[in-house]
Amino acid sequence: MSVSVRSSRAVAILLAPISLLLAVFFLVPLGIMIVYSFLEPGIYGGVVWSFYPFNYGRVLGAPLNALEEFDAVYLRIFINTLRIALTTVLISLLVCYPVAFWVSRLPDRWKSLVLFLITLPFFANLLIRVYAWLLILRPTGFANTALKSAGLIDQPLPLLFNNVAVAIGLVYILVPFMFLPIYASIERLDANLIQASQDLGASPFQTFRRVVLPLTMPGIVGGSIIVFIPALGNFVVPSLLGGAKVLMSGNLIEQQFLDARNWPFGATLSMLVMAVILVLMMIYVVNLGRSGAEVARQVQTV
Amino acid sequence: MLDRPSTALETGELIGIKSAVKAFATPEGGRVLALDHVDLSIRNNEFLTLLGPSGCGKTTLLRSIAGFEDFTEGAIQLDGRVLGDVPPHKRPFNTVFQSYALFPHLTVENNVGYGLDVARVQRQERNERVAQALALVGLTGLEKRKPRQLSGGQQQRVALARAIVNRPRLLLLDEPLSALDRQLRQSMQIELKNLQHTLGITFLYVTHDQEEALVMSDRIAVMNKGRIQQIDLPSAVYHRPANRFVAAFIGVSNILTGRVAASGAAGVTIETDGKDSLLAAAGSAGIGERVSILIRPERFEVQSEGSGDNRPWLAARVEQVVFVGSELHVHAALSDGSKVVALDRRSHANPGNWSPGQGVRLFYDPSLVHVMAEGAA
Repeated sequence: MSVSVRSSRAVAILLAPISLLLAVFFLVPLGIMIVYSFLEPGIYGGVVWSFYPFNYGRVLGAPLNALEEFDAVYLRIFINTLRIALTTVLISLLVCYPVAFWVSRLPDRWKSLVLFLITLPFFANLLIRVYAWLLILRPTGFANTALKSAGLIDQPLPLLFNNVAVAIGLVYILVPFMFLPIYASIERLDANLIQASQDLGASPFQTFRRVVLPLTMPGIVGGSIIVFIPALGNFVVPSLLGGAKVLMSGNLIEQQFLDARNWPFGATLSMLVMAVILVLMMIYVVNLGRSGAEVARQVQTV
Repeated sequence: MLDRPSTALETGELIGIKSAVKAFATPEGGRVLALDHVDLSIRNNEFLTLLGPSGCGKTTLLRSIAGFEDFTEGAIQLDGRVLGDVPPHKRPFNTVFQSYALFPHLTVENNVGYGLDVARVQRQERNERVAQALALVGLTGLEKRKPRQLSGGQQQRVALARAIVNRPRLLLLDEPLSALDRQLRQSMQIELKNLQHTLGITFLYVTHDQEEALVMSDRIAVMNKGRIQQIDLPSAVYHRPANRFVAAFIGVSNILTGRVAASGAAGVTIETDGKDSLLAAAGSAGIGERVSILIRPERFEVQSEGSGDNRPWLAARVEQVVFVGSELHVHAALSDGSKVVALDRRSHANPGNWSPGQGVRLFYDPSLVHVMAEGAA
């Protein structure tokens, strides 16, 4: 397709604001972080401008410097973070998929009401909403009180300051991001295809596996990605609901920047989180993503 | 490839529907009957068409047989056994959907093989049957394409292959040709008819296109307002419609109303509302009874005023002459102003034979005049 000089200039003008915005607020800070991760931490904060690859060694092993010790705790925190993030994705998926089906079958005016309710939590401040979970989950909170008065437990359950509490909190704040793409792909699903599958002799399970699941895969992939990434980097939820017991990579980075005032090490941890995300995304794109994108194209053209 | 059923079955009833009612609640709180006590018997190996205007209940009937809807009352029998609440995926029928409903994520081959795959047919047999079905509809070589890479006509053929590959007892076709252009539709009509003959599968075809129904069907069931108005051979439905609705719905019709004035051995004499006198050879109507009279346009012979022989005729005045290639359509008004159309095949090379305002005589054969009781809706 050929674009005339005039229209390509128009395209350039139209794209200029977003390009500038991304360059200033995304690429420049990213560049700063990359550079910092290879600098020496100053004794009283700040950085010393000399090449210093040992920050990475602290996490990955072989620091080759007396000042920086390799500590496996960082890798353990990373693995725990991945586990919590993946659990969050999985639970969100299991919650959203059936609900999205249910909503797609509602009459139109109920549909818009339910969609509004699902986005309603965004209207309240994130901290307040997470604090509310603190009230629900603490030993004298609503959950334990209710279970106790129902006679199901004698002692309060340890619901707070553990991985479960963090996963609950993350699912709670991220579930709309899973719901919307899945809902969109289910809404687009042609009901005739389900009938055609039944008509050709497929049981409900076969219809789900062979028709519904592949055709809603773009929504599943999209929702999983946009839940997984913020779950991996979140530090509000673990610091409130995980207390001092659960440290996710987000908290670790926050600590390095604000408490330890070790900006190079904080930058290094950020780079490693980003590397993990990039690797996972590439696996996604190469495997699932390919079929997902293929399906997405077909769904759009049909 | 697909075995013909044994001859013993060929005359028997495949599907029997007894007094089926399907009621829908209206938003106003009322009840509409999409099916109003429908009786239908589908014979083995026939091409039966449900014909009617939109909203007549034909699609509801088809979907009920497929199992996607339940009757409010009444039952469906297959080989004399009640199907009841057998779900769609356990009924030995397959549907060709109006929208084709091809699986967009599967290739042509896997679309066609879908029914065999879910039935866990062995790989080799599955591949052979898919290849045969694709060859039958002329799609060999397109196995690896996705539906979106096919034309509308090709998608239609995939939908057809996907259904017949399962060797259903009954193939349900829901206006499958309505999305195709006229030329393709006409060639597909012949192809479908041939296919049905080759396969020996019973076809139940739903359409609102009377021409399509006449071309393909062994029998036509004309439906209106949830009832079957007439079920008969195409020629019978065309020439001897059971009532005014059928007469008007199928083909171009000249329908006059009148009263039986005399009855004799040669037939009946009818005085039309326009005070014309009309002879009909057949007809058992009693004197004084009100009747509707159908004369097809091709049954009129247009002659100029003053000409004639001993055949009866109606006086008319030409209003419009339309040249359609193989024939002339002469639109004329009778003495009371009621409009009729006559076909003139002899003078189509000279459209100037007739001109608006000219008086003409429309000759007819009393044995080809069809009389219907007025009351029949």
